[in-house]
Amino acid sequence: MVKTSRVVRQSDVQQDVGWRSAPYPVVSVDAAGAVRVVNEAALVLFPGAAVGGSMAGTCPGWLVEAHERHTGGTRDRVSGLIGERSFEAHPVGGDDGTVTWWLVEDTDTRLAREALRLERERTAVLGEVSSRLLTSLNPERCMQVAAELAAGHLADAAWVIAPGGRRDFPVARCVRGGDVVHERLAVDPDDVAGLAEALQGFPPVPSRWIEPSSAPGWLVPEEFGEIGSIVVTPLPGHGVPAGALILLRRTEQRAFSEDEEVFARLFAARAGAAMSAARMFAQQVSITETLMRDLLPPKLHQVDGIEFAGRYRPALDTERVGGDFYDVHPAAVTTGAGAVESLAVLGDVCGKGLEAAVLTGKVRTTLQALLPMASDHRRMLELLNNALLDSHDTRFVTVVLASVARVGSEVRLRLTSGGHLPPLVVRTTGEVQEVPAHGTLIGVLPEIEATTAEVVLAPGETCLLYTDGITEAMGGPLGGEMFGEERLHAVLASCAGMPADAVAEHVHMVASQWIGGGSHDDIAVLAITAPRGRHLTAVGGHGRGA
Amino acid sequence: MSSPHQLTCTLAIVDAHTARIVVSGEIVFDSGDRLLGVVADLLADHPVRRLRLDCGEVTFCDSYGLGTLLAVHRRLDAVGGVLHLENRPAALDRLLRRTNTYNHLTRSVEPEREHQLDS
Repeated sequence: MVKTSRVVRQSDVQQDVGWRSAPYPVVSVDAAGAVRVVNEAALVLFPGAAVGGSMAGTCPGWLVEAHERHTGGTRDRVSGLIGERSFEAHPVGGDDGTVTWWLVEDTDTRLAREALRLERERTAVLGEVSSRLLTSLNPERCMQVAAELAAGHLADAAWVIAPGGRRDFPVARCVRGGDVVHERLAVDPDDVAGLAEALQGFPPVPSRWIEPSSAPGWLVPEEFGEIGSIVVTPLPGHGVPAGALILLRRTEQRAFSEDEEVFARLFAARAGAAMSAARMFAQQVSITETLMRDLLPPKLHQVDGIEFAGRYRPALDTERVGGDFYDVHPAAVTTGAGAVESLAVLGDVCGKGLEAAVLTGKVRTTLQALLPMASDHRRMLELLNNALLDSHDTRFVTVVLASVARVGSEVRLRLTSGGHLPPLVVRTTGEVQEVPAHGTLIGVLPEIEATTAEVVLAPGETCLLYTDGITEAMGGPLGGEMFGEERLHAVLASCAGMPADAVAEHVHMVASQWIGGGSHDDIAVLAITAPRGRHLTAVGGHGRGA
Repeated sequence: MSSPHQLTCTLAIVDAHTARIVVSGEIVFDSGDRLLGVVADLLADHPVRRLRLDCGEVTFCDSYGLGTLLAVHRRLDAVGGVLHLENRPAALDRLLRRTNTYNHLTRSVEPEREHQLDS
């Protein structure tokens, strides 16, 4: 007893007394593998360890091996698991071959490292998600990419379901490693708990777990195996629901952790934003196309042998519509004498871009509705004026009406201006005349005036209607100079005898060259040309040049 | 060429009911709203019933500029005021005559209203 206590005292003397209660587990083992000292903290980890007992069987295998290696000369620090916790063991060698192992727990560091790695991976995935989704403004493509990425990073299989018709939804589905299938699916969203709400988008619903056994047959991909877990996550869009994401995992994979669910929501937010942006873009394109169809200048043809040709260039080259317009309404009225009159209209709505284009549309529609009155230009303009009078703004339109009729070999025009630039006529001699058609601009003043001028075009002669985008075009060799009416007269003089299309093209081309790269207003020209030669057929039955 | 479409509006209050704005530069699409803004502020801040718009230094007025002048006229009309377009360049007169807004924008004020304003 005395001996024993001496031994214990001896070891106490040998080692620091503070050791016993040191916060780090410490175990001292001699070269033979017998435990010499084990402190309180170490006893918690190795409850079976006792002084004098063997290290093997009481300490974890990795530590025992490290000790053997150490005795053999390899003096590295080692790390390993003890239960759920992980430790680094630092050896301190003694003179007598005894090794004191200090154990430092690194469970938190290891977990933090692991979390950091996961987080980096997820950030990289989200980055990939964003960049891949945002490169496409095609809604279908967005859904495909979302399904593919979800199946690659979040689950074994993924469904992306977009809001659709009543019983018919566009879906994209993908099994990990497989191809994306895009289809329209007639399913009842009520079959899947939470899907109807997620598709509605309101009220906002959280991700929802579904009992795998309750999943409808269509939700399970072929040869998928047993489903372990299913989660339905709404895809939030820009104020509108973009759809729902359904993730499926097989039984062998563990269920979604809390972290993974958060990650799935982050993924859903990005996918939803991209999909709704794509859909809004697609809708806008479709709306714009629809509007454009009515706002774009029409293709012009010959009417009764009379040539009509137009050119149009909007102020903002990125837009296809603007404030200038022209129309030709063939055979608008039949005059008392039985002649058929077409009505050509060219106008300029004050302003640029889409705003002007909308008013342009209104003007063109109103004029079309007033076609039966085309025999009375003044009355037509008065009615148009009444339709456009607006107490809020002073937006106006200037317009030229030209009633065109073929009379024998000639073309007779009745021209009326609503505050517009005077029409020009180029004779076969090259002489250019201004048509004295005057009148009030339309849409501002309660009363308007308008006088109609009559012009007769001999074969090959042209009447040109144009907007101030031509005469006020800024540019020229030095820049900053206005094209002006004189230049227009000169250009037109050089067009004597040309067909309508050539006149319109030439005037448009010269003005465009004048502008160069500079900014400009809308430009519109409309040429009306009396047919050359063909009148001979009508008169004498002889062919051209006979 | 310096910055295009420059428009300067120099405002002077002549007396309790009269203001004068010297407009110089181009009254066009990009600049017209500035003139309208100056007039709107003026009418909001002062009981002006006569606005003399000095156009002597207007280098160009396009159809949008004409729309601006019509809007200024309408603003003054709404408060029972009178617009005078002074020192009009020939090009501006041509635009007013072509669009038949010459009388509307420049006609001499009815004697009665003139009298009221002068008294």
